[in-house]
Amino acid sequence: MEFEKLQDIIADVLNVQKEEIKPETTFVDDLGADSLDIFQIIMGIEEEFDIEIDNDEAEKIVTVQDAVDQIKKAVE
Amino acid sequence: MSEITRVALDAMGGDNAPVEIVKGAVEAVQKRKDIQILLTGQEGVIRNELAKYTYPEDQIRIVNATEIIETAEPPVKAIRGKKDSSIVVAMKLVKNGEADAFVSAGSTGAVLVGGQVLVGRIKGVERPPLAPLFPTLTGVSLLIDCGANVDARPSHLVQFAKMGSIYMESVMGKKNPTVGIVNIGAEEEKGNALVKETFPLLKACKDINFVGSVEAREIPYGKVDVIVCEAFVGNVILKLYEGVGGALIKKVKEGMMSSLRSKIGALLVKPALKATLKDFDASEYGGAPLLGLKGLVVKTHGSSTSTEVCNSIIQCVTFKEQKINEKIKAAIQETQEENKESE
Repeated sequence: MEFEKLQDIIADVLNVQKEEIKPETTFVDDLGADSLDIFQIIMGIEEEFDIEIDNDEAEKIVTVQDAVDQIKKAVE
Repeated sequence: MSEITRVALDAMGGDNAPVEIVKGAVEAVQKRKDIQILLTGQEGVIRNELAKYTYPEDQIRIVNATEIIETAEPPVKAIRGKKDSSIVVAMKLVKNGEADAFVSAGSTGAVLVGGQVLVGRIKGVERPPLAPLFPTLTGVSLLIDCGANVDARPSHLVQFAKMGSIYMESVMGKKNPTVGIVNIGAEEEKGNALVKETFPLLKACKDINFVGSVEAREIPYGKVDVIVCEAFVGNVILKLYEGVGGALIKKVKEGMMSSLRSKIGALLVKPALKATLKDFDASEYGGAPLLGLKGLVVKTHGSSTSTEVCNSIIQCVTFKEQKINEKIKAAIQETQEENKESE
């Protein structure tokens, strides 16, 4: 469920098709995101899931799966 | 009466906050009945400032925000960390549709980051540029971009040209505005890689009036209406313009005060000089909009006085009335469809 919601957020911010977004997809290399895009995605995640992701943890996010893991960790 | 424009105003941002900001808000509502201002910031401080004036009280409302983002703070960290700051609270009002526009004289970085992240880009807009109006010999020109994207790509500059043209035509009333790309010579083959790649793309655009290269020295003469460049170049032009202008005026004043004879001359020429220089006063033209966002975000000079704040607020009314965002959305969509067809 987290993954599907995340797909929506990423597709909206980066203007890409949902099908392009897979767990192993990287934000910078595969999707062409810059630091502001990633920041916007993280803000979107925080709002959607009503969680807070720590700055240090946010910097470690490279792939979509990394973001899913962060969401799961924060929700728990 | 026309529709009300709701402007969220950062009361705590800028060198002269909150005094000049609150004063600017009061001046704006005294001039216009079609404006509602939401002053964001520390309630007690704003209330004390407002108490100095008589104004239509139903047109100004305070939205409490306890934190302040300082200019020196890293923007991303500030926007993430200070959720109850005057900037974040105001931008959320725009995001949630409670305000049509946001005006701030505070941290440029925080306004740029917050604009993109909190207010959000119009779908298809790759990078939102910061576009100040520039006084010239023939009127005003729009310098786009001067602060938001230091590593721009050709496709970004093409979008800047389109958004800038829409702004000049709709807000400034300039019919079929001319567009030029900042270059180091007039010829198409001149310039760095970015300019060389962008030039033919702009030339191929049917919906803008591209006239070729513009050299920096031609800008003050008003050679083109929309001056397209990447932010690094734009920022250098803007700051140099301000610096040269300031230094020149200082030198002229010194010369005028150097002898009794020149002092008498200065006294005679003063009214004419004052009127002329008013045309070159950037505060008369309001702030710089961050174009391509879902709402309007206007950044005014950090040292803004009430005049500039007031003009920036009034500028938002025209922006809303002219439905600039809808026009930008349509132009970007059209480009995307053209690109798809040519693929």
